[in-house]
Amino acid sequence: MPADSNYFDYDAALHACSLGDQHALQRIYMQDSKRLLGVALRIVRQRHLAEDVVHDAFVSIWNKAASFDATRGEGRGWIYSVVRHQALNTVRDRDREVYADEDAFDNMQQQNEELIVDQFELSASLGQLQDCLSHLDSAKRNSILCAYVDGCSHIEIAQRLNAPLGSVKAWVKRGLATLRKCMG
Amino acid sequence: MNESFDELQHLAGEYVLGTLPAAQRRQVAQRMQNEPVLRTAVEEWERRLQPLTSLVKEQEPSAQLWPRIVKDLRRQSTDAQSSWSAWWNDLRFWRGLAASGFAAAAVLVAVMVTRPTTPAPNFMVVLVEPQKGTPGWIVQASANRQLTLTPLLPVSVPGQKSLQFWTKGEGWDKPVSLGLVEPGKTVKLALDKLPPLQVNQLFEITLEPEHGSPTGRPTGPILFIGKAAKMT
Repeated sequence: MPADSNYFDYDAALHACSLGDQHALQRIYMQDSKRLLGVALRIVRQRHLAEDVVHDAFVSIWNKAASFDATRGEGRGWIYSVVRHQALNTVRDRDREVYADEDAFDNMQQQNEELIVDQFELSASLGQLQDCLSHLDSAKRNSILCAYVDGCSHIEIAQRLNAPLGSVKAWVKRGLATLRKCMG
Repeated sequence: MNESFDELQHLAGEYVLGTLPAAQRRQVAQRMQNEPVLRTAVEEWERRLQPLTSLVKEQEPSAQLWPRIVKDLRRQSTDAQSSWSAWWNDLRFWRGLAASGFAAAAVLVAVMVTRPTTPAPNFMVVLVEPQKGTPGWIVQASANRQLTLTPLLPVSVPGQKSLQFWTKGEGWDKPVSLGLVEPGKTVKLALDKLPPLQVNQLFEITLEPEHGSPTGRPTGPILFIGKAAKMT
């Protein structure tokens, strides 16, 4: 499946969507729905919410396909960012209402901590990002991974890394600045 | 708001990372619409961090997910079609028109049609921009169903898009295409395939893909719209 993504023409599929071709949207779905659901699930952490996110994101991709501009970035990246931001909106809106129950949070914390580290160490497929992340100290790297992959807020990063909130904010900020310099 | 470039980059980075609280997220999304520098910064962060999505394990979606998506696409597209009838039925819109540019355009048409060389049309329509009410085109139709569409304003059409001209009489189930029109050009058409013109028959010009609507119905935004009035 991932190998196919080299051959799948996302830009053309999005263009076809903008012309009302539902099969084009279905091709995108068949190509990427599994990974997109994975991305959403890591962020919203509940299966039914993750499916809602993918549902809303696909309706939104369909409606916004005409505004996709291939000169500003790749179609695949655009699709992933629609799904991620849909998921992030869901969790950030929820942050304000209720806070996750603490036991569930602790459990998740342990599981995810292992996952992040394992996956990062095992993965050599991130190209330049891999190099640049490996130059960060682990506190900054973990803060950034926790936020991007698991949708952690600053507070959640602080809980997960058992660190003061102020330090976490500084790590994220400096981590981002270093990454930007490293990647250009 | 006196943000340095670095502060803007930092804001864009935290937006893409997802760490901003809800209110700030919305603010950034809003600002991106009008601030190209912020938008570019966000797009660059999306591009830098996107490889991280490959760390995530794939999940099999439930069998109901795709049908659910399709169902809601349909609903959305019916909504888009009914926007035609929404304009038709919106009394405030038509009243507003009467009070604005519509009157001026009507005078202009009256002047045009009183020229002795032009046969008096039976119907005329002023097509206006729906938001501003500015008259953009005039439609004149004669008894023998010859229709002339005359531009009043220059219109710029984005690349790979075209203007498509439509009409719909009361009781028709969908609008009928009268073809693509070129900005700034007068078009003459024979309406002999259509039922006789009616009072209040709707005419509109929508923005469509380069070769016209792929569905046979308007799919793009309405640029100009108007109802036929009988000339006495």
